[in-house]
Amino acid sequence: MAVVSNFESAAVPHMDAAFNLAFWLLRNRTDAEDAVQEAYLRAFRAYATLKSNDIRPWLLAIVRNVAYRMLARRGRSGNVISFDEAFPGRGGDGAGEIDVASDAPSAETLLIGEGDRAMVTTALAELPATFREVVVLREMEGLSYREIADVIGVPIGTVMSRLSRARGDLKTILQRLIDKDLSNAM
Amino acid sequence: MPCDHARTLLGAYVDGELTGAARQAAADQVRSCPACADAADDIRRIGRQLNATGREVAPPQLAQRIRDELAKEMASDRPVPSRLATTWRAPAARFVGAMVAASVVSSLITWSVATWPRGEVRLENDVVSAHIRSLLQDSPIQVASSDNHTVKPWFNGRIDFAPEVKDFTSEGFPLLGGRIDYIGGRRVGAIVYKRHLHVINVFMWPAAGPEPADALADVAKGYNVLHWSKAGVTYWAISDLNADEMRQLHGLL
Repeated sequence: MAVVSNFESAAVPHMDAAFNLAFWLLRNRTDAEDAVQEAYLRAFRAYATLKSNDIRPWLLAIVRNVAYRMLARRGRSGNVISFDEAFPGRGGDGAGEIDVASDAPSAETLLIGEGDRAMVTTALAELPATFREVVVLREMEGLSYREIADVIGVPIGTVMSRLSRARGDLKTILQRLIDKDLSNAM
Repeated sequence: MPCDHARTLLGAYVDGELTGAARQAAADQVRSCPACADAADDIRRIGRQLNATGREVAPPQLAQRIRDELAKEMASDRPVPSRLATTWRAPAARFVGAMVAASVVSSLITWSVATWPRGEVRLENDVVSAHIRSLLQDSPIQVASSDNHTVKPWFNGRIDFAPEVKDFTSEGFPLLGGRIDYIGGRRVGAIVYKRHLHVINVFMWPAAGPEPADALADVAKGYNVLHWSKAGVTYWAISDLNADEMRQLHGLL
């Protein structure tokens, strides 16, 4: 049982990070729970092969892998999901979008703070999964570029350029949402 | 826009990922260029807001669910794949390990996560996608030839290295041709062979990092995948061909 407790004490502290990454890839809390559970089981079975002392990037890489497999099984791409679910009330007015909260960030999250604060998460949901994940890992989980590179399996330079592109796109989307909100308010 | 070229580095500067001269240059830029300073502030502000409102917290019962699952896993007598992985590392058992792995389908998904270095799992997904894509198209090749003197020069200027192109018709692996594909965020060479009715894609690009001594095998989405590095080039071969014949091709390459 020593193996279990070793793994548990190393891995469980990162469960929130794992869940957050899974949620932002899958855009659904129930799926994210399943993904984390499956990933932890796989990580446990593979724990003996972990050579590094830093379990977090390794663990997150497994979570990410499981999440992408689930996305593939759904038969939809991450982009399609984020777009549909981020804008359930698309075409309607702004208020309708917030009411449909099942798959979007939880209702409290959307209502917290001033308008453009909530919009940041809406804008993030609109990014393609490839760019969304680097933003989540950097801004929410605070991973270094090296760690992000390990999680997603690309060189550090690619992390840098993806993050730069993602931030640029995020700003553009945010600007559009704020403009739209202003015109709705008037 | 005089400062346009440095915008990629600006993010890295804000993230504290730059050192030395690059860091100094970015700092000077932010000081002297108001637009760059604004851009840096935007990055920080959006980051703070995402951190404050975007993080989705795991439900409290998830940790317990995972602990229960782990306890169940330990209680079951099923051999855990990590044991296989440990055997795998002993050099003498590598070949046996590969054979076992090719047949123990149930443990393979876990196994691939377990033993393949991080990042390779992602690469493998790309390889599988590229292979399937090539089969969905009318032809898996852009340059057709059974003559390597046509295929090899075709890659000149299309990718940043000269791939090894050999025809193995006499060994039963006729060369169909080549094409360019996109894997792991880069352009790669794809050489296509045929074995009976099976199409084999061999992707290659300059190796980064140390080369594993032996070829690593896996099964992904029903395809046999084999990858290895040799003479500074990374190879990924994929096909619905059986693992033995895949290894035969590996021996030829």
